[in-house]
Amino acid sequence: MELNRRSFMKMSLAAGTAASLDMKFFSYAGAEAASQKTGVETVTRSTCSPNCTGACGFNVHVTDDRITTLIQSADYPEKSYNPRGCLRGLSMMNLVYGKDRVKYPLIRTGERGSGEFRKASWEEALDYAAEKLKNIMEKYGPEAVGLTVQVPGTGYVHKGAFVRMAGLAHWSIHHGYDQNGDLPMFWPMTFGVQTEELESLEWPNARYTMVFGSNLIQTRLPDAHHLIEAKKNGKLVVFDPDYCSTAAKADEWVPLKPDTDAAMGLGMAKVIIDRKLYDENFLKDFTDMPILVRKDTGKRVRAKEVKDLVSQAEKRKIPDYRDLFVIHTEKGFEILNPERLDPSGAELEGEYQVELVDGRKVEVRTVFSEFRESLKEYTLDKVSSITEAPAEQIERVAIEAATNKPLHIIYGASNYQWYNGDLKGRALSLLPVLTGSIGKSGGGISSYAGQYRIRFNLKEWWFPSGGKLNWVPYLYFLQGKGKRYPKKGIKAMVGGWGNPFDQHNMSNRLKDRTTSGDIEFVATFDFSMTTSCQWSDVVFPATSWYENYELTATILHPYLQLQQPAIQPMFESKTAFWVARELSKRLNPEFEKYFFPELDTNAASQKIIEILLETGGFETKGITLDMLKKGPVRLHSTVPDDRQIPFYDQIHERVPFPPQSYPPPLKATAKFLKSGRIEFYKDEDLFLKMGEQLPVHKETFADTEYKVDPEARKKYRLRFVTKNSLYRVHSTHSNNVWLNELQGHKPKVFLNEADAGERQINAGDFVEIYNNRGKTKAYAVIDSGCRKGTAIFEQGWWARYLKNESYNSLTMPWIKPLHEIYFVPGIWTPTTAWNECLVDVRRISV
Amino acid sequence: MIRGMVIDLEKCIGCRSCVVACKQHNAQPAGNWWNRVFTPGSSRHLSPPEKGREYFLPVHCQHCRNAPCEKVCPVGATYKHDDGTVLVDFERCVGCRYCMAACPYGVRQFNWEDPKKAMKRYEYQNEYTYGHPKDYRLNGRLVYMQSRFKGVVEKCNFCVHYLDQGLDPACVRACPGKARHVGDLDDPDSNVSKMIRDKNGFNLLAEKGTEPTVFYLPPKRKEG
Amino acid sequence: MSNSKKIGFLVTGLLMIAGFVAWIYQYKEGLVLTNMRNSYSWGLYVSGLAFFVGNAAGGLVLSSLIYLFGVKSLKPFAKIGALTAFANVTAAMISILPDIGQPIRLYHMLLHPNLNSPLVWDVIVLNLYAALSLIYLYILMLPDLKGPLAKIALKVDQPKEFSEKWAKRLAPFSLVAAMGIHVITAWIFATQGGRDWWNSAVLAPDFIAVAVASGTAVVFIVSLLTYGFKNEHQQAYRSMAIIIATAYFVHIFLMYNDFIIHYWYGAHEALETLSITFIDYGLAHAFEVLAPLAAVILLLNKKIRQSSGAMISSCILLILGVFAHRFLLMPAAFDKIQLSMNPLGLQHNYWSVPISSGQYDPFIDTFVTKWHYFPSAIEITIFLGVIAFMCFVVLFAMDRFPIAGEAEA
Ligand SMILES: Nc1nc2c(c(=O)[nH]1)N[C@H]1C(S)=C(S)[C@@H](COP(=O)(O)OP(=O)(O)OC[C@H]3O[C@@H](n4cnc5c(=O)[nH]c(N)nc54)[C@H](O)[C@@H]3O)O[C@H]1N2
Ligand SMILES: Nc1nc2c(c(=O)[nH]1)N[C@H]1C(S)=C(S)[C@@H](COP(=O)(O)OP(=O)(O)OC[C@H]3O[C@@H](n4cnc5c(=O)[nH]c(N)nc54)[C@H](O)[C@@H]3O)O[C@H]1N2
Ligand code: SF4
Ligand code: SF4
Ligand code: SF4
Ligand code: SF4
Ligand code: SF4
Ligand SMILES: [Mo]
Repeated sequence: MELNRRSFMKMSLAAGTAASLDMKFFSYAGAEAASQKTGVETVTRSTCSPNCTGACGFNVHVTDDRITTLIQSADYPEKSYNPRGCLRGLSMMNLVYGKDRVKYPLIRTGERGSGEFRKASWEEALDYAAEKLKNIMEKYGPEAVGLTVQVPGTGYVHKGAFVRMAGLAHWSIHHGYDQNGDLPMFWPMTFGVQTEELESLEWPNARYTMVFGSNLIQTRLPDAHHLIEAKKNGKLVVFDPDYCSTAAKADEWVPLKPDTDAAMGLGMAKVIIDRKLYDENFLKDFTDMPILVRKDTGKRVRAKEVKDLVSQAEKRKIPDYRDLFVIHTEKGFEILNPERLDPSGAELEGEYQVELVDGRKVEVRTVFSEFRESLKEYTLDKVSSITEAPAEQIERVAIEAATNKPLHIIYGASNYQWYNGDLKGRALSLLPVLTGSIGKSGGGISSYAGQYRIRFNLKEWWFPSGGKLNWVPYLYFLQGKGKRYPKKGIKAMVGGWGNPFDQHNMSNRLKDRTTSGDIEFVATFDFSMTTSCQWSDVVFPATSWYENYELTATILHPYLQLQQPAIQPMFESKTAFWVARELSKRLNPEFEKYFFPELDTNAASQKIIEILLETGGFETKGITLDMLKKGPVRLHSTVPDDRQIPFYDQIHERVPFPPQSYPPPLKATAKFLKSGRIEFYKDEDLFLKMGEQLPVHKETFADTEYKVDPEARKKYRLRFVTKNSLYRVHSTHSNNVWLNELQGHKPKVFLNEADAGERQINAGDFVEIYNNRGKTKAYAVIDSGCRKGTAIFEQGWWARYLKNESYNSLTMPWIKPLHEIYFVPGIWTPTTAWNECLVDVRRISV
Repeated sequence: MIRGMVIDLEKCIGCRSCVVACKQHNAQPAGNWWNRVFTPGSSRHLSPPEKGREYFLPVHCQHCRNAPCEKVCPVGATYKHDDGTVLVDFERCVGCRYCMAACPYGVRQFNWEDPKKAMKRYEYQNEYTYGHPKDYRLNGRLVYMQSRFKGVVEKCNFCVHYLDQGLDPACVRACPGKARHVGDLDDPDSNVSKMIRDKNGFNLLAEKGTEPTVFYLPPKRKEG
Repeated sequence: MSNSKKIGFLVTGLLMIAGFVAWIYQYKEGLVLTNMRNSYSWGLYVSGLAFFVGNAAGGLVLSSLIYLFGVKSLKPFAKIGALTAFANVTAAMISILPDIGQPIRLYHMLLHPNLNSPLVWDVIVLNLYAALSLIYLYILMLPDLKGPLAKIALKVDQPKEFSEKWAKRLAPFSLVAAMGIHVITAWIFATQGGRDWWNSAVLAPDFIAVAVASGTAVVFIVSLLTYGFKNEHQQAYRSMAIIIATAYFVHIFLMYNDFIIHYWYGAHEALETLSITFIDYGLAHAFEVLAPLAAVILLLNKKIRQSSGAMISSCILLILGVFAHRFLLMPAAFDKIQLSMNPLGLQHNYWSVPISSGQYDPFIDTFVTKWHYFPSAIEITIFLGVIAFMCFVVLFAMDRFPIAGEAEA
């Protein structure tokens, strides 16, 4: 089949334009094989890898080059993981063979967004795209081309190829983590990492599990059984404003007002502290709680400021990213060792006077004391009135959580996709920290967004020497301004594995900007004709995970797995590797050598996998391609049995926080935690200015909607919560015929009966959801489980199902200034807050 | 040996993976679903019923021991295999739909039009069709075929076409909730017998006397 | 041939052809052309079966009355009775052919009959009854088979006596057979433990009652059309009116007896079926009760019995009511989903598990809890074709055979 493809290239070169080519010949790369119907069945093991990142192993049964059935391969060594998969993965044939499959390269002929294209040959499409890109690069500089690559961890080879190309060409690039709002900013603030999580196999080891706004039953479907199992030896409590299906499965549901989780966390922390239910030694050794803070400036005391410690401090050699902070022990003031977490004898509580180098004496107290003081505000009654949950319940649950250890908290994306999501995470992480549950089997805090951290070192393939990437936070791109936004703007979008024209076109900015010509060129690489493809100038047909080799990983389990071709690439689809090679060499013939010109796609893909495994670091040590071909292989970790338990080393080996978050080097992220400990106290100026040095609760919309439009309070009285649907992975499967059949083919908005009644809306009515930024339409579902004041919309519909009015015309790219203090791509950077959005709903006649 | 199934409603997360697995492995044409999962008390799946408790209920053929569908079938096209599975012989069914009127569970599906034509409604490329590709005959009777005849009845067949390969039914293999189990009801020590005994297994519409071999375990259990 | 006969042949002929063509079309495209779906799997065709079976009672009523109970006044109508019985019982069988998805395979009924199936019993009794009514008709006609028809006449010495004797001998059998077709047709429904609407012991006796009413009405109409109004038949008219009235009241008694028992007990399932009949199909139900009632009241009135037109109209009204009754056999059975339950925590809530309709349409839900059935144009055309067939058989036989041939009272 590779012969076919190469001879095709030669032929098309000879023929010049594709017009002379008989497309049918290639409509099915395996035409010859397929035409001789042998009826022989083959079974190939591949990995379902959409952006849910479930990474579920599937066996693909193929007869005569057609997928007949799909079934979970159920070959994970721990039985508990089998069978991994879901209804979407099980109906993937509907996308592989669906009517929206992109068959051949397309070049736009009509207006932007009109969906009018002509079929082009690869040769022509590549030439055309390269020409456009070269022009833009010449005119505005190479960083005027922006690359988006979603969920890198599900495709180390092919997604890497695009990044490699961008690096070689010195393009701009956006990080999917913050683009999607999947980046929970409390992680870098508190733990100095991008994100961390237990593998789902560990969930049943918790004695107490608290889920804060994560609808795992639907969004982590293959793992959800572990949550049910966690009820056996422990208790499962779900905090969610909505009676979601996860709440339905819980032992207890705590309905709380949306965006009040910080108050909830603080209220419970107060109960735990007041009742002395916390793990004192844990706080002393692993957190910043004993560190002294100056009362006058609010800054933490640095050793070099302290008269008695300055000389000692100057002698200490520490990495740049560390700082020497001061604690008080029975011996007096001492420097806290940032490089080891050994018991220090620090006092957890206390107020002291310390003499500074300049002789001044200042009042200081421990972070813990500071914190206790700040908690005074969060009495049970106050918290109950903020969260609208009964005080009795809050108190009881807090006590239960503190006395049934380890405690595991799952902090969901929809919950942190609010403007003050970082505060919520910081408050909630107090609970597992106070109870000393971090680093233990079944304990800690986890977030399971779609995006996730890279699992090993991928530099060798992703970032060629000589390459350069200009990382631009996506929100800057949408706003058209910001620190790293190129001076002449971003004029070309190159993307794959994502559908930003549905999923990210906040305020319809992308559509407006392409229409106006501000964005001059859009190239999209996808296997489905998505809205983004409709809005592109060039569409490249991609292979699916049943048509190529790829290396994938996920957060939910620590297995490395392969995607393997079960069928020939459909029609004229190609892998990203091949496209990157062809496009790069057209940009600059020098680039070709970076892409194994001597190898065909499958051979090159496998070669790259081998390179990645060899250079991946200790995580991939000893893992070979052959092993992976036989089945999933566990990545190594420093935890016994290679389990995935975050901060195991920090707690058990007492090495400082944070562990490295790939791909940046440790020093890039370690600076977030200069103390080398879990930090609840942030003393960068802006934190102090905003009064967020410690986790606090802030009122929803006060700094966003109400600030830009005080009228919004009255005009738009519903919170617009856009959550994920069982039937889609965002917009993937939006066009899946079976799954749409199972939903009655209708986009829906869920309303509380009171809100609906007030607006004369009945079940099944067609309604418009609107605010002053945009609108969309859906059918009303009156849902007693939906909280009053909230309109829930199951996001992910392609524009064509919404009369071309996207739900993301309603949302807004808010930027919280704290997120701009540092910049590490995808780790400390402005992140999207989908739910920070007010709307109202009215009934319309169809 | 009587093949029986146990569906644990405490473990069922209502994900409908079994529905989809059944659909594709048994090549059900457009509009035809042998297996379905709903949220009791609610008009919308995965939305809580007003005031009630949310749980999920999968329903497909219950493989009744006293199967009215079998008794009414004038030509014996619906019949019972030795292991208790109620099957439809696609070559014999005359399409009178008497069995559909008789079945209290609403699980039988009729090919109102040519399945090939129905399949076209899904608008696949290249005339794609899915499903286990090979006909399966049990003692000479055609109990599975990928493309059925127009005008015949079909329903869950306990994935009889996987029987020889020793494979569990597709819905069982696909269930990420681990809520589905198959086993021998005649054997008191089998996994299913034990579950039914120890966890209060019950039947749907037990009062109709159909004696299903599909059992359910109650939802909202707390296991010690 | 008289003009009205010609028109009769023309109309029935055309309708038969239309019905046949529609059936061929439906055979090609599948039953998707009907408005039945998985949750509502039987419709007009099966209602038609019950309807025609009911009409086929004519033979029974007359023969049993004449020969078992000595109601001599009815004798002139005996042949007509046998003829309408034959025509209707064949129509009954024909009416379910288009309901069969794979009619070509019906031979499996012979190869592999499932003796457990009431449908198999029904096929047997319907055929028996068809044969019996034909034989009966033949025997009654025997004395009149003269001229060209003589060659089909059985050579017996005294045809009249022979006919009389055998008619008398066959009467009890035909009574049993007629009871049989109604009872067994009723059993097709009544044995369905899953369908509360049908699952009743009174269904079979009720079927008989309805059949006696409608079967007699059919004979009544045909007789009037054949002989016109004749004062000498006054006695017969009266007898038939009384038969119809009695049967009707028995039917209403049986039906409401069932309703009242279920309503009083108040089980949810039963109430739901009743509510479908009384609320969703309230008008149709009113019609099924009131139309025959009006007909009965009219027929019992002496004045009405002075006019052939009035009597025919009354009988038609009655038959229409009975047809409505037969049509209503389905909705309350199929509009309610048997797999219904009280979900956990909702003890007073009654919830049905939706059924996949079998129809895919990207704009509507495949899963339904109610399927609003009304026969499609194809179903109606085919059904009219069957009615036409029934009429045609009667017309044809009247035209060719000595059926109207007067026998002395
Ligand atoms: N089926 C499916 N699975 C998916 C995806 C998909 O598209 N489809 N996408 C994947 C991706 S990319 C992501 S990011 C994850 C996200 O998955 P989740 O983290 O589960 O996010 P959501 O489903 O959006 O919302 C979860 C719950 O958060 C609640 N919530 C909203 N606001 C608040 C709040 O202020 N406080 C509290 N306590 N709860 C709140 C909502 O009511 C909702 O029930 O799912 C992944 N898995
Ligand atoms: N209003 C609102 N908007 C949201 C969210 C929300 O909660 N509310 N959620 C946000 C979140 S959390 C996320 S993660 C984003 C997700 O946003 P996206 O990642 O843009 O959404 P998807 O629909 O998953 O897009 C994936 C696309 O990649 C294609 N694809 C899949 N596999 C392959 C492959 O192997 N090769 C190629 N070439 N293409 C492939 C699919 O066909 C699909 O078109 O959406 C965000 N948007
Ligand atoms: S869609 Fe996600 S959860 Fe479902 S099978 Fe695929 S990877 Fe697994
Ligand atoms: S569930 Fe219905 S189809 Fe299945 S055996 Fe019982 S009666 Fe027959
Ligand atoms: S439809 Fe087929 S299986 Fe059902 S009763 Fe009729 S012949 Fe038997
Ligand atoms: S046993 Fe097979 S046919 Fe029956 S529901 Fe499960 S998958 Fe479908
Ligand atoms: S696959 Fe399993 S968990 Fe999911 S709906 Fe079916 S039975 Fe329930
Ligand atoms: Mo995400």
